Amino acid sequence: MTTPHPLQERPGRRIRPRRDRSLLIMVAPAVVLLLVFNYAPLFGLFTAFQYYDPPVGVGNSEWAGFDQFRRLFADPLFWGALRNTLCLSLVQLVLFFPIPIALALLLNSVLSVRVRTFIQSVVYLPHFFSWVLVITIFQQMLGGAGALNQFLRSHDLQTWDITTDPGTFVLLVTSQVVWKEAGWGIVVFLAALSAIDPGLYEAAAVDGAGPFRRMWHITLPGLRGVIVLMLVLRLGGALSVGFEQFLIQRDAVGHETAEVLDTYAFYYGIGTADYSLGAAAGLFKSVISLLLIWGANRLAHSFGEDGLYRR
Amino acid sequence: MNRRSFVALAAAAPLLAACGGGARQKAGANTGAGLRAALPAYVPSGPVRPDIPSVAGGAGAATDPAFLTYPSSRVATVRGTPGRGGSYTAVTPLWGTVPPAGNSFYEAMNTALGVTLTMKPADGNNYNTIVPTMTAARRLPDWIQLPTWWNSIFDVGGLAGTQLADLTPYLAGDRIKRYPNLAAIPTGAWQTGAWGDRLYGIPSFSSDFVVAGAVFHRRDILEAKGITPGQVRSADDLMNLGKELTDAGRGVWAFDDVWTYLFPAWNVPLTWDVQDGRLIHKYEMPQFFEALDWHHRLARAGYLHPDAVAGRNADAATRFYSGKVLISGGGTGAWSLADHQSGTAADADYRRGAFDFFAADGTSPPRVAMGPSTNVVSYLNSRLRPDQIEELLAVADYLAAPFGSAEYTMVNFGVEGVHFTMKDGVPTATEDGSKFVQAMTFPFLASPPAVISNPGAAVVTRDHAAWQAANVRALYKPVFWNMNIGMPRSLSAADAAQAVEDAVKDCYHGRTKVSEVQAAVSTWKTGGGGDRLKQWMTDNVLDKYGTGR
Repeated sequence: MTTPHPLQERPGRRIRPRRDRSLLIMVAPAVVLLLVFNYAPLFGLFTAFQYYDPPVGVGNSEWAGFDQFRRLFADPLFWGALRNTLCLSLVQLVLFFPIPIALALLLNSVLSVRVRTFIQSVVYLPHFFSWVLVITIFQQMLGGAGALNQFLRSHDLQTWDITTDPGTFVLLVTSQVVWKEAGWGIVVFLAALSAIDPGLYEAAAVDGAGPFRRMWHITLPGLRGVIVLMLVLRLGGALSVGFEQFLIQRDAVGHETAEVLDTYAFYYGIGTADYSLGAAAGLFKSVISLLLIWGANRLAHSFGEDGLYRR
Repeated sequence: MNRRSFVALAAAAPLLAACGGGARQKAGANTGAGLRAALPAYVPSGPVRPDIPSVAGGAGAATDPAFLTYPSSRVATVRGTPGRGGSYTAVTPLWGTVPPAGNSFYEAMNTALGVTLTMKPADGNNYNTIVPTMTAARRLPDWIQLPTWWNSIFDVGGLAGTQLADLTPYLAGDRIKRYPNLAAIPTGAWQTGAWGDRLYGIPSFSSDFVVAGAVFHRRDILEAKGITPGQVRSADDLMNLGKELTDAGRGVWAFDDVWTYLFPAWNVPLTWDVQDGRLIHKYEMPQFFEALDWHHRLARAGYLHPDAVAGRNADAATRFYSGKVLISGGGTGAWSLADHQSGTAADADYRRGAFDFFAADGTSPPRVAMGPSTNVVSYLNSRLRPDQIEELLAVADYLAAPFGSAEYTMVNFGVEGVHFTMKDGVPTATEDGSKFVQAMTFPFLASPPAVISNPGAAVVTRDHAAWQAANVRALYKPVFWNMNIGMPRSLSAADAAQAVEDAVKDCYHGRTKVSEVQAAVSTWKTGGGGDRLKQWMTDNVLDKYGTGR
């Protein structure tokens, strides 16, 4: 949806802070949080180029150049973690990404506000559960001693411990993500849907367009900008598939299946006091993510979409 | 948390140490003669007779004396107040709720000690990150507790003499006799606080029976089935028990994780051994893989609870209390009053038992490696003046008063009528007592040698003491026992061997074969620094200081 926006008169630099004062005050706490927790720790990146020794400190640790990166790239476990991360990311893109959109469209078609609010609250709720809780629930239902398998056992049927099966781990974690986050994901799409001019639907209906045609020609084009934005963000986060979810379940299926870049950095960096290697792994991930998000944004712009920001 | 839940922590020490890695340590280890000159004399004291006396085993091992009741005549062992009004700050790690500052117990303690000792307990879970910031800024408190499993992270060897006070002039040899309660702490425990042939640390909770852990079982349930722990004499016996006890249909599995706790059965050391004068890592030993194979078969046979296979260790205690699991490994600190209370709350018949140590083949004599004499050592700041050091050593003498003495009662239970009352001969905490009196504050600075005491649960004390007595002969001193070794940081990753440990875990949970662990070990030796680690240990520890046995 690229409606050319009306040329606004840009007020001068001096007037804007005064005019937008309340807005700036509102945004200040978020900026402070960002500075303290996202920008200040960036100085820690120095450690990726050192043999960092905590008692000695960042200032006095020995300089390593690119040694830590050489070690990282020589480690087959690192490449295994990268492969797992990309694989999980791809599966989640295909299986998870469309679900909130579909849910939003479905909800939007429900006319009763009360029913809609009820459904929305129900699918929303799991977002507020911690991963520990979500995985416990899955363990209680699908685990070797869980409800499903005890039922199978009581009927002398073959049991299947889904939670410790490396072969289906990708599907297990994706279904956990769907259960936990799909409801939360619809919020942004619902907002975009409400921004579509109802007059368009009325006009289309008058012209004889059925529900499917209205969705195809009005709703989806109306959502396109938001979908592309979400895709760009998703690609930027392709190497961040989650941390706790895999940390908790790593022992269940083994490190070969469940190791992702974040858990690799944790176990092989922090866990063994090899902080510099962990920092190098983290830095590698950030650089690739930045390239991905930049590339996806460029691509969106070249298709005439807004992407992260309007050109 | 009481004394023995702390020992559970102590049992986790080798694990933590493995995670820890090391800093650059200049001191290396101690030499024989130099160390002997620095260590204090040992003058045991015994004003209180235990109900179950200590039993001696081999290699200097001995069971902890046990008390079924609390002594009614609480003898005073310190004359007057030890302090002369000085003001000091102390930092200790605390795993639990930090008591409010300036509470009535702290105030009562200050009055009794004659000093103003500001206690600043810090979160134990983050302690390994808190201390390095203090040492980097050279701002250690006057008195600090440094758990031995973090010795290399804290670089205690490097801090000794630069930031930590040398106590040798005050305590070496007979000089310790000025502090009779400190003199009653055995020599081995003082060794854990010695660096570069000088004495720096004050040990707490010293014991001659420290082991990495035990294989526990639900004694009440096993006995109801007519099984006595004495019937388990070999690895095969234990495997057969797994078959007998597992009833998946009823949601009961025989085992929770027992890996590492059965190491003694195959004579696998915690890390190192020396054979024919050559250093050998446990990963290089055939018995390590025999043990692994047994655990692999245990998991494949389906005797391991599925939630344990799924790595849900946090729920292990709940599974044990509810009888969903009947055999589980753990630190000996699990044998505690708190455990008894939680267990009997879930099942009135609850009784924790432990299998005696056995050899896997069922015929060799059982052997189990002793842990260091203590994992809790406190240090004084090197900026203190000599008279201040003497004042704090007098305070430490008060804190180290023996079990059941007037001072011990004050340190562990507070003031009678305010923090505790005597009920059926047992000190029972009042509301203020349970809020303010914490086992991990003052006793973490100095405390008498460990005893077994669970006021109000004599069965726990009896069971624990009987188990120690039955196993004390199996204890032996492993190589590098009680030696303070620091490692360069570049070897910390090799020491932790995360890639091997990951493969090991997959194997004992039945996912991968033993051969894959063997492959991971070969990779670790060449690419993961394993050979470098062994060379360093040979050159810098074994060749210089010997095995310490």
